Amino acid sequence: MLDSVQISQPLVEMDNIVKTFGGIHAVEGVSTDLYSGEVVGVLGHNGAGKSCLMRILSGAMRANSGEIRVNGQTVDMKSPQDAREFGIETIYQTLALANHLDAPANLFMGRELKTRFGNLDDKRMLSEATEAIRQLNPNFKNLRDPVARLSGGQRQVIAIARAIYFQAKILIMDEPTAALGPSETAMVADLIVRLKNEGIGIYLISHDMHDVFELCDRVMVMNKGRNVGAFRIEDVNKDDVLSLIIKGTLPDSWEPRGGAE
Amino acid sequence: MSSKAPEQKRKFRFLPEGTSLHKLSAVATLLVLIFAFSFTSPAFFTVNNGLTVLLQTSVIGLLAIGMTMVIITGGIDLSVGSILALAGVIAGLTIKIGLPVAPAMALGVFTGAACGFVNGMVIAKMRITPFVATLGMMLIARGIALQLTGAAPISRLGEAFGVLGNGALFRIVEMQDNGFPKVIFPGIPYPAILLLVMAVLGWYLLQKRQFGRHIFSVGSNEEAARLSGVNVDRTKIWAYTTSGALAGIAGMVLMSRLVTVQPNEGVMYELDAIAASVIGGASLMGGVGSISGSMIGAFIIGVLRNGLNMAGTSAFIQMIIIGIVVIGAVYIDQIRNKN
Ligand SMILES: Nc1ncnc2c1ncn2[C@@H]1O[C@H](COP(=O)(O)OP(=O)(O)OP(=O)(O)O)[C@@H](O)[C@H]1O
Ligand SMILES: [Mg+2]
Repeated sequence: MLDSVQISQPLVEMDNIVKTFGGIHAVEGVSTDLYSGEVVGVLGHNGAGKSCLMRILSGAMRANSGEIRVNGQTVDMKSPQDAREFGIETIYQTLALANHLDAPANLFMGRELKTRFGNLDDKRMLSEATEAIRQLNPNFKNLRDPVARLSGGQRQVIAIARAIYFQAKILIMDEPTAALGPSETAMVADLIVRLKNEGIGIYLISHDMHDVFELCDRVMVMNKGRNVGAFRIEDVNKDDVLSLIIKGTLPDSWEPRGGAE
Repeated sequence: MSSKAPEQKRKFRFLPEGTSLHKLSAVATLLVLIFAFSFTSPAFFTVNNGLTVLLQTSVIGLLAIGMTMVIITGGIDLSVGSILALAGVIAGLTIKIGLPVAPAMALGVFTGAACGFVNGMVIAKMRITPFVATLGMMLIARGIALQLTGAAPISRLGEAFGVLGNGALFRIVEMQDNGFPKVIFPGIPYPAILLLVMAVLGWYLLQKRQFGRHIFSVGSNEEAARLSGVNVDRTKIWAYTTSGALAGIAGMVLMSRLVTVQPNEGVMYELDAIAASVIGGASLMGGVGSISGSMIGAFIIGVLRNGLNMAGTSAFIQMIIIGIVVIGAVYIDQIRNKN
């Protein structure tokens, strides 16, 4: 018990977040938290508000109301830079890549490496990017091609490499494996486990039940902008989660499945 | 790591491969033009006319450097022709009230930069599209220039005012026995040197500095740039400010060459600059473009205008031809984007 008191300070707390677009209620009073060294799955049907909630945490979008705390401190995320200062890195669902630039230019976009004279250090950016990307995909060859010419999977690898290169404390992964083949997906799964063991807190948005049950410690299900349930992964099975995603409620027969304890 | 070597050999290749092909075809076009005009008028392919082309091109070229940066951000600057005139008027008026030439010209360039800065602010902060914002500035700057001068030219600005536009480096003149000077070497015109210096600076900014990289990022994917921590607004504001400052410099060169400030100079020069950039491979969709390409484009426009003049083509026909060239260049740009 003593242990759990010491680690009881969450990395991130989002409290009563609301986001509307005109009449659309994208996020309606959602609260969630994330601890160091755990993976929290964010699930829900298309348009449930998962990306909006995560974009609010990564500073890409401003909430109408609600509070965000990082390490217990209330913060105001005005821009993605603000979020980065708190160690929050994001793999966006849209990948956020500049199509005309090559992989190193994208990896270091906004945080370009410079030489002593303040010039761009393209050589170092290339070698660093090569190393970061080859960790995820050893077959990645065309690093100097504009990313427009790369495959969906290669583009996703660049987006992932960018998020982990800068040593995040909090990582948001919005459907990071949507375009990946089986071996790359497995590589990302390994990566998630490794990062988690390093004490990084991860929000993982995924539609892949297998991945979710494999990787997540907890899940949170969103339905029409609301948080309809947050559980430790041992307490639910796939049917429970699917019911939450689709209907927004647990099956009538549900009782905590009770893993350990 | 064995496959690393060939990758590093292919340097500076974050632009599409088509770029070098495009540049090559632009150079070929330029050579064809020079060849064709040499046939149609014997006076075309001479040292003196070469210098004239160089002078004429330097103004378009200076404008095209700034225009290229703006176009790469995905914008457009329709105000450079007017800014050029206003910058000239400010320099001319301040000389008239007693300011020496150099600070007066600096003030002119500053005026250009200030107009560009306003463009950038209107576009980035008020979220007005570049087309509309710079169209507005086109009228505003021209209006101020005409209002300040009562639409009359400012002349008798002194010999020093004409040096920038008419002087040359390494010019060798020998006095002959009959008392007439003989030009042994016409020298390298100052405007040409200025263009070269600015082009190299522009290339350095675009390819070697963070500012340039951000210009490409913003033009390629503005949202991605913002999410990646690029200060999109600041990048745009500086791009338009640079374009305005270069328009100011171009204004100094042009007015100095005439040794007169003409408030109605530079009308539609923006179209020449846009054409130069697009012919040189810049994409109006943003994210693509280069200074070297735009310089080739500027020379194509310069040679085309000069050659048509030498061949005795009327100004009206010239307008038609340049118009067709601009549409053709944008059409090629579109085809390129589809592939
Ligand atoms: N920029 C925006 N402007 C207007 N409406 C938006 C915007 N972004 C999201 N929405 C709306 O907010 C709701 C939630 O969208 P969100 O992208 O968060 O869904 P999601 O759960 O990530 O879905 P998916 O699984 O398809 O990625 C949707 O109804 C969407 O149409
Ligand atoms: Mg989404």
